[in-house]
Amino acid sequence: MLYSCGVVYTLPTVTSSCRQFHTPLFKKHPIQLLPLKTLKPKFTCSASIDDAGPPRNWEKWLPKNLFSAEKVLKSISEATSSPICQFISSPITFLHTVDPRIKLAWLVVLVVLPARSHILMRFGLVAYLSLLSILILPRHVWMDQLGRVSLLSGILFIMLGLGADGAPPVVQLRTPPPSMMGLPSLPASLEGYSYIIMKLGPLQLTRKGLSVASTSASLTFSIFQSASLCLSTTTPEQLAFALQWYMRPLAYIGVPVAEVILTLLLSLRFINLVFDEVRVVALGIVSRRIYWEKFTALETIEVFFTYIRRIFNNIFSHAEQISQAMNVRGFRGDSNTHNIYFSSLSSNSMANILSIMCLVCLVGAAAVSDCFV
Amino acid sequence: MNITASLGTSAPHLPPLHSSPPLRPNGTESFAIEIQNVKFSVKTKQKKLVHILEDCSIQIPSGQFWMLLGPNGCGKSTLLKILAGLLSPTDGFMYVKKPKSFVFQNPDHQVVMPTVEADVAFGLGKYRFTPEQIRCRVAKALDAVGMYEYLRRPVQTLSGGQKQRVAIAGALAEECKVLLLDELTTFLDETDQIGVIKAVKKSLASSDDVTALWVTHRLEELEYADGAVYMEDGRVIMHGDASTIMEFIEDRKNSYIRKINA
Repeated sequence: MLYSCGVVYTLPTVTSSCRQFHTPLFKKHPIQLLPLKTLKPKFTCSASIDDAGPPRNWEKWLPKNLFSAEKVLKSISEATSSPICQFISSPITFLHTVDPRIKLAWLVVLVVLPARSHILMRFGLVAYLSLLSILILPRHVWMDQLGRVSLLSGILFIMLGLGADGAPPVVQLRTPPPSMMGLPSLPASLEGYSYIIMKLGPLQLTRKGLSVASTSASLTFSIFQSASLCLSTTTPEQLAFALQWYMRPLAYIGVPVAEVILTLLLSLRFINLVFDEVRVVALGIVSRRIYWEKFTALETIEVFFTYIRRIFNNIFSHAEQISQAMNVRGFRGDSNTHNIYFSSLSSNSMANILSIMCLVCLVGAAAVSDCFV
Repeated sequence: MNITASLGTSAPHLPPLHSSPPLRPNGTESFAIEIQNVKFSVKTKQKKLVHILEDCSIQIPSGQFWMLLGPNGCGKSTLLKILAGLLSPTDGFMYVKKPKSFVFQNPDHQVVMPTVEADVAFGLGKYRFTPEQIRCRVAKALDAVGMYEYLRRPVQTLSGGQKQRVAIAGALAEECKVLLLDELTTFLDETDQIGVIKAVKKSLASSDDVTALWVTHRLEELEYADGAVYMEDGRVIMHGDASTIMEFIEDRKNSYIRKINA
């Protein structure tokens, strides 16, 4: 192995007055002498196994600019301005005609059930939600939604299933073995019971792992997919109406229900403006074609702070204008005296009855399955 | 060439104030909007008084579609906000028929609810209407601007022109007598621009005795108006029928071009 070290004075052009030394040591890296005022010394060190060629440029294999300011802003500016899971007004499906209050009840049940029911029930719920999504939503919507949610749930299932019993004993329940407590050892199962279901190298899928994984994955799937289904088939105003109906008793204990509902509706409208503002200001910065490589880290951070400040300024300006518009349109600051018209979309009584019956059946089935856990 | 900007540079040579606004077809002199010697000033942080509007006088007959023209910064929007009641004049007489509605330049500021239907109905919240009455008014207003099929569409899925028409429908739903429209076509392309103007014209035609005052700095929109007011430097320079204002502006434009070429 040959180690070489040299001093190279680099300049774009070399004048004819330069003298070059060709010594055996510096044969490959000759020293060029140039006027000292114009030279900047640059030290280069290299190592090679043999002296067959120039040192290999291994740096090019290293990933660069994985997280650059330009990439971040560009990805923001190219993002869609519409939030995910917005209301799909047509075609009008069975779920569109179900009363929003029943849909909210379904949502609550679908959040609670996966945690409190048998494993078969959990997987049944996942299958039911998937089937409903496929039947109700347009093809490109359900493919996108189910793809994302299944991926997330799948990752959770694998990680928790294989890792649940890999957690250190400190965080696990410490129950002394029966022999220490003077109890007889548990008899071996006659029915072929085994705590470990599957072994995969150092990892193992146990009954506890399966239970934790199935609960978490199906809970995640149920929450995301039921919310997606509900938002895709219910307008924000209908949801607000349902929430107001459930919250109405709270008004007797002084909860400002009307104000909460109006704030919710304004937030649902305003969130799009915020998305738009974030996107447009990022586009404004990207279109300036800033040469980010010239910036120091502090300067880049400064640009980002300017970006955030600008977003907030614009959002506050929007808020001021919207409040002025509300004033012009007759809102005098009292949510109780200003009626909000929620929607003219009437629910179908048959669809409502069917939904309630299915809900009752589901809760009943879950209660029965709970006995088998 | 920016016509409105160039007009602003030749302010000293002004023709006298046109004092004969066109009358309504039935010949009566009922005005939906009437202001006399309206002034508006603001105080700066340095306690300096800045005059925005000076001695503005206009009379707009009922049931007509008028435009308020002028270069940027001449006080058109300020005058409109005074008419809407968003600003109080420093001095002068003002009368605007009620109920009146104001539509903002940026539809994103006007549309406050997430869905078209709920937004159009928002202005009706101050009245004690039944849901059926609200439904009828919303349907009528959306039909007038050609947006009925978008009844349940989320607002963010609409184009700029469609949002602007929803904003106009919101004003129409209140069955107002005076519509004050602030540069509605600023953010729109030519197709949407014409679509919005036609929507306003159609809604005026379908309603009885509704007056609209439209602020703009686009001269090509003048052909749709029954009358117009031309402003410069916070003063009303001329008001009358649309063709007179158009001729006046064309004369000013030609004299300016001659001045440049001389």
